[in-house]
Amino acid sequence: MKKLNIFIVAIALLFGLTATTQAQITEKPEFGKFAITGATIHTVTNGTIENGVILIEGEKIAYIGNNIRVTGDYKRIDATGKHVYPGFIDGWTGLGLVEVSAVAVTVDDAEIGQFNPNMYAFTAFNPHSASIPVTRVSGVTTVLAKPRSGSISGKAAVMDLWGYSPDSMAVKKSGALVMNLPSSTGGGWWDDRSEEEIKKQYDRQIKEINDFISKARFYDDMMKAYEANPSGKTQPDHDPRMEAMREVLSGDVPVVITADNEQEILDAIEWSKAHEGMNFILAGVNEGWRVADEIAEAGMGVLTTTLYTPSREYDNYQRPYQNPGLMADAGVKVAIVSDDTENSRNTTFEAGYAAAYGMGTEEALKAVTINPAEMFGVADKIGSLEEGKQANLFISDGDPFEPMTNIEQVFIKGYKIPMQSRHSQLYEEFIDRDAVNK
Amino acid sequence: MKKLLTLCVIAVAFVVSVHAQEKGSVLIKNATVITVTNGDLENTDVLIRDGIIQDIGKDLNAPRGVETVDASGKFVMPGIIDAHSHLNGVDINEARNPVTAEVTMEESVDPNDVGIYHALAGGATSIHLMHGSANVIGGQGETLKLRYGTTQDGMKFEGAKRTIKFALGENPTRVHGQGNGIQPRTRMGVEQVIRNHFDEALDYKRKREAYLSAKAEFDRRGRGTPPVPVAENLRYEVLNDIIEGEIYVHCHSYRADEILMLMRVFNDYGIKNYTFQHANEAFKVAPELAKNGAMTSVFSDWWAYKFEVYYSTAYNASILNANGVINSINSDNNQLLRTLNHEAAKVVRYGDTSVNDAIKMITLHPAIQLGIDDRVGSIEEGKDGDVVVWSGHPLSIYSMAEMTFVDGKKYFDRSNDPNDMRIDIDPGTDFEDGANFREIVTRREDDACLQDAFILMQNNTQN
Amino acid sequence: MIALLILGLGVQQVYAQTTPAHALKNVTIHNADGSATESATIIWRDGVIEAVGTNVNIPFDAYEIDGGDSLHVYPGFIDGYSIWGSPDLPSNLPDLDDPGNPPYYRSGVQPERNPSDLLTEDKNFETAMKAGFTTAALYPNGYMLPGSVEIFYLSDDHESVELISDKVGMAGSFESAPGGWGSGAYPSTLMGVMAKFRQVMFDATALQQHIKYYSQNPEMPAPNRDQVLEALFPVINKEAPLYFEVDSKENIERLLKLQDEFGFGLVIVSGKEAYAKADELKRRNIPVLASVDFTDAPEWYKDDEKKDDESEDSETEEVEEEISEEEQAYRDKQLKAWKSEVSNIKNLMDAGVKVGYASAGLDLKDLNGKIKTLLEESGMSEQNLVQLMTRNTADILGINRTHGSIIKGKNASFSVFDKQMTEDDAKVQHNITNGIIHELNGE
Repeated sequence: MKKLNIFIVAIALLFGLTATTQAQITEKPEFGKFAITGATIHTVTNGTIENGVILIEGEKIAYIGNNIRVTGDYKRIDATGKHVYPGFIDGWTGLGLVEVSAVAVTVDDAEIGQFNPNMYAFTAFNPHSASIPVTRVSGVTTVLAKPRSGSISGKAAVMDLWGYSPDSMAVKKSGALVMNLPSSTGGGWWDDRSEEEIKKQYDRQIKEINDFISKARFYDDMMKAYEANPSGKTQPDHDPRMEAMREVLSGDVPVVITADNEQEILDAIEWSKAHEGMNFILAGVNEGWRVADEIAEAGMGVLTTTLYTPSREYDNYQRPYQNPGLMADAGVKVAIVSDDTENSRNTTFEAGYAAAYGMGTEEALKAVTINPAEMFGVADKIGSLEEGKQANLFISDGDPFEPMTNIEQVFIKGYKIPMQSRHSQLYEEFIDRDAVNK
Repeated sequence: MKKLLTLCVIAVAFVVSVHAQEKGSVLIKNATVITVTNGDLENTDVLIRDGIIQDIGKDLNAPRGVETVDASGKFVMPGIIDAHSHLNGVDINEARNPVTAEVTMEESVDPNDVGIYHALAGGATSIHLMHGSANVIGGQGETLKLRYGTTQDGMKFEGAKRTIKFALGENPTRVHGQGNGIQPRTRMGVEQVIRNHFDEALDYKRKREAYLSAKAEFDRRGRGTPPVPVAENLRYEVLNDIIEGEIYVHCHSYRADEILMLMRVFNDYGIKNYTFQHANEAFKVAPELAKNGAMTSVFSDWWAYKFEVYYSTAYNASILNANGVINSINSDNNQLLRTLNHEAAKVVRYGDTSVNDAIKMITLHPAIQLGIDDRVGSIEEGKDGDVVVWSGHPLSIYSMAEMTFVDGKKYFDRSNDPNDMRIDIDPGTDFEDGANFREIVTRREDDACLQDAFILMQNNTQN
Repeated sequence: MIALLILGLGVQQVYAQTTPAHALKNVTIHNADGSATESATIIWRDGVIEAVGTNVNIPFDAYEIDGGDSLHVYPGFIDGYSIWGSPDLPSNLPDLDDPGNPPYYRSGVQPERNPSDLLTEDKNFETAMKAGFTTAALYPNGYMLPGSVEIFYLSDDHESVELISDKVGMAGSFESAPGGWGSGAYPSTLMGVMAKFRQVMFDATALQQHIKYYSQNPEMPAPNRDQVLEALFPVINKEAPLYFEVDSKENIERLLKLQDEFGFGLVIVSGKEAYAKADELKRRNIPVLASVDFTDAPEWYKDDEKKDDESEDSETEEVEEEISEEEQAYRDKQLKAWKSEVSNIKNLMDAGVKVGYASAGLDLKDLNGKIKTLLEESGMSEQNLVQLMTRNTADILGINRTHGSIIKGKNASFSVFDKQMTEDDAKVQHNITNGIIHELNGE
């Protein structure tokens, strides 16, 4: 990256161009046919290919292997000594929905209301967020942008990080339904409710959620009956919230439940058992290691992080780092996420810590690629380097979990994207601020 | 059960063996020694005796009774120093007045916070415990060595420079202006609060000194009219100490204009030793910073969490470094403090900074900013034995701190790392009680600087 | 309501100074030195003990009470620091225009207040009498400097509570200014309280100097007199100690730092972790008016003890509750910490620190339970306990010449129990304060 930037500055000076002062992307992407050669290709699903070739044609990967002589009108990218990885997926972020978290008018991830299955992150996803280029040039090519408020927050969307409209960026508009169950244990030391109060509130809120889902089931059954044979029936009124629940009840769209500590996780598992047919994922899961077997048995995937302080006073300092690995060992499908917005790019280091503390590099790599892709039902398009999948990938000069590694080129949906962001542009402008053109 | 008892005994023994101000001796053998000031030395030994690095060289012999640590294939680096932390403050913000120079974090140290141990496990050996950023002139800071298991006084970094927190921009204007309806509510007001208080302090000093000399004269002569007493004023005394250079200023700041403002003010009052904390837009005025000899202490990659950091870049540290500004990477966050080595590594990614310069940003440079660089921040003979043995190169994500020494005494050992490292135990709290659940700190926080003061802002920020 | 009425009737001043002298005979006297005298008699007149012993002549004008050799008499218990009779703190304080510069009372600085001016109705007076207390040092409810400490003879209603010594000390704590986040003021933190304390001391010092100068040089500008600052002069002049309520080791260290700076006399109140600073307190000759309000034993520990008792009785094997190694290790630490807390007073005494007793916020209905724990868990003897609550406390309060033991010439303040005080269901029958007999009819 740094070499690249110096190169750009040099070119700019050479041609007497002034460095750009706006935080906008001024370069254009390239699109068409590319041949990346000589690289070590980490396919994730089919092992590692040394000295390999990737052919990109349009949006898709046309070929992966090391058994081909590249001929024809491919733009050549010599990646000898470099590495190619599938674009990383940050499966839990406010990216695109929140621009500056402290400025309320730029925060679009928390709608008012307890039950909002019909709120779509897709709708509010701002393709021009300054954070998007910052994220994608670091190798994160796709995110699950998620709403967060109320009991049912809305639908999170799986979004590629290149494009000029949500429509062109959406891998899946309905990536997951986000749910927050109440906590039966209270909020920790700062929560001054009594045990009875907590229990009462918990029971009441759970009942409200169950009632809502029962109504949705009734609506779904009613609509199915009507749709199967409308003749002679009065058409029921359309209910947007109930309508939005249908793809969830069928299990087509997974439900992500936030649960952090041991008891919250157990409560979520217990609650989910009463809702068959739906497809559940847990998010947060800080104490997953304490109940890893139970999570595995429940067949739930998890969205989790590593870079946080231990959750209990008496916990070992490395539990947060070990947590994903311990869950994976127990048979849980783990996706490692940023749970961040403007620094969604740090998904890589969240995974790096898991890799270092027991999960291993290979599993940690899956946790930011194929695992979240499978959880959100988009593994046919992204999450690994396979022929026929979207060309979401990056070229690096080393292990991308290493903070000193440079991400040199990113492709999203076949677009060779400009390696520019507000951060790199400010660098270019200010590294030698007072230089003048002669 | 027997095994369990043994574990307990080990745990207790570990804590009990850590006493105030204890100095240790150790010989670390065959490591790659990252000296910071003298390159990386391969297959080199470091001998620490009675808390001081006595010898760096090859094939050193352990003096009688000195433990030897085989560090073949491992790295030894100076302990990480965090120039901006609120790790173990009892309170962080005395947020009820825009100027509180008289309060000091020295009196707000909790020596029992288990987070201290977590920081040691991340290779940190010293922190700058700072007052928060609610006030334009906040409280004084305290530089600590992470001697876990000792007293509040035992944690003090003896001989460190006195420091004080200033804060510009959104935090003081929101807390006091928007929250309480008193100045400052703007960056204009922030400047005047500083200037007015410096002027008042100078007036106070003049009157106080006049009183003291008149009183001495009156006491000596035993007749005449005695002077009207001028009471000692703690706040103004501290402000005068700043003007006289006895206190290093660490100023929470973000925008380029406010950074320039403070340099202008400080030049007017002749204040020379200061560091801009956070300083997300410092890169925009790097030449001016360099010219004034001002220092910076920044995040590796935090930005956009509030408006005043929206137009900033992760390349900040590299730009500052390239312009000759002494810069450190800080945490301001109890999680980030556990991984500062990798925060430094990001500086290598974001820009053209060398590995050794990046390491300086978490060792020697923060030491300079705290006035402790004669004691720590590099591995040199005569400096304190505050060093960390790393399993691999400390900037690699796969490397872990294996042993952390402060004054040559081992405070963290990965091979002997009991789960429960609490010291201060509330007997009224049972295993599963809510009180045992810590506030989880992620790296995704607003600046922790505003701890204790958020609620003051929420009062009236709707206007 | 009915219960209250009955309680109210429980205390009656039956024999209040209707006779020239009193004699209490055929009782067992337990003194603070550990001695016990059976079949003894106590004679007192005008609030002063005239004679004590097994072989004393009862004067002709003494009203005789016969203990029938079943009553146990102890020196009246003294509470070294109590808030009884103090008015409630104001709530809903208005917001301040400038919370950084509040008036003294809003910053918690009110040293000019005296309990004797403020005493208000409080059923704790009666409860204290029933628990065997005859004397207490009171302070007003407040914040960092809430007012003076004064010593009183107790009575069942606040109007007949009688002052013994005024302004024996100044109450203090690390409480921040009232109002919390909403309407709070400077100082709002511990470090702020430290700084504010210093500034108030500096300001008082300057004012005292000014007053002194002015008294000798009336031609100079007159000082602005200020009752708040002037109330601190005895502390500055080391004439009255600070009674400072502080528990944690770290806060004790902070307090000692202030003492180093200002040199004031100091009595530590409550001091739950004072054991950790025992040697230093001894060296500085700082007494502790200790709280017995320690944490309840961990639930699991109480359960275990109960099980142990049961299994001793029935000799049946109890099935152990399964707990993880992690939790067992936790419990070991927890129990150790609890034992330290309970052993605080004993450890202080062993280290040679002067220790007295202070309720310091303890709910008196818990007193018996706490004392039981103290005797069972800390290895403290009954004699230690009596010393703690009588002679030692009198000594710290500076009233040991008149209070704290039952000997000739001392004040007639003692408690009459129907059994030895440490026995289960021992009750106070009479309480004699300053010679006045309060008959307590038990339940």
